[in-house]
Amino acid sequence: MQAGEESQAVEEAPPETTKPRPKRRGKVTVFDNWCKGCGLCVAFCPRKVFELGPEGHPVVVHEERCTACNWCVYHCPDFAIVVELVEDGEQERKTGQAVGGRVRR
Amino acid sequence: MATQRQLIYDYLRHKKKFPNIWCAGCGIGIVMGAIIRAVDDLGYDKNQVAMISGIGCSGRMPVYLDFYTMHTTHGRALSFATGLKLARPELKIIVVMGDGDALAIGGNHFIHTARRNIDLTAIVINNATYGMTGGQYSPTTPQHMLATTAPYGNIEQDFPICELAQVCGAAFVARSTVYHVEELQGYIEQGLEKKGFALIEAVSYCHTTYGRLNRLGSAVDMMRALKENSITRQAAEKLPPEELQGKIVRGIFVDREVPEYTELYQKIIERAQSGGKA
Repeated sequence: MQAGEESQAVEEAPPETTKPRPKRRGKVTVFDNWCKGCGLCVAFCPRKVFELGPEGHPVVVHEERCTACNWCVYHCPDFAIVVELVEDGEQERKTGQAVGGRVRR
Repeated sequence: MATQRQLIYDYLRHKKKFPNIWCAGCGIGIVMGAIIRAVDDLGYDKNQVAMISGIGCSGRMPVYLDFYTMHTTHGRALSFATGLKLARPELKIIVVMGDGDALAIGGNHFIHTARRNIDLTAIVINNATYGMTGGQYSPTTPQHMLATTAPYGNIEQDFPICELAQVCGAAFVARSTVYHVEELQGYIEQGLEKKGFALIEAVSYCHTTYGRLNRLGSAVDMMRALKENSITRQAAEKLPPEELQGKIVRGIFVDREVPEYTELYQKIIERAQSGGKA
């Protein structure tokens, strides 16, 4: 009996090899007052995180897709995008904090 | 590596000068980002870095950066930088120029600074036109392309910037585009670490004047064209010259050890002070 339970417990524990890799996720912030709406981030984002908003500025629509590759950060000519790396599971904890905000006062 | 938010607070004059004046999608801002990341990665104190520019769109860059900065006369950025380097050899000096600034108005300064091999990092942002003054053709406008002063096409050959610096004796010569910004950042880091004249050409075609006159599309289309029309130096060596027409060849062209000017100058000073004996 005891031996059976033990073997079941061993089976349930995932072996190291099949453990999913921790996902890199990013929190994207766009500073609208610095953005000029060139559309580079919307056109080139490999995960299609952005969509063009009504005022021509990018809007973060699919933040869950962001892998924090920083393409948009490196290619934004106006320094208007900030991507902060979110560790897995920290997304919920961080939402309550003021992560965004405007750089210019 | 610092996050983008820290970089903005540390290196940009973010409270007064932003948003910047460049057109939407202009690559000069991308080059500026590559410079601050390169300086940050190398761990330089920002009070040990000086940035000097001439006139033109790229001449606005020192306005936005929190280094020691100098916005000088047209074409003379390298001359001011030479003087600064001789007076304060411990500073890391970055010279930012446009193609017209570096090769037309300051063409002679460019040749002789490369020949002297003084320890500067020169970044030439090649937009293939005089963007700020309204799209006149510059020394790097490709042949047969239109400009406001060449309505039937430019009949002059364009200036190969990297090849010119190479034959003049620069210690480090590399070219990249604003699409390949991480590669560009690597070249800027190597150029800053290099003892001697380092020239980095950053290709960033102007979409407001050059692109509009030649119907090359929007900033996004021209960025895509940079991706599709560029080729690494290793791949370019295997292709016949006909297929390289209109391609941008990226890579390091020269990385060599050449005696550096301020060191030689210091030796002359020591020799003169010891009465010519040493």
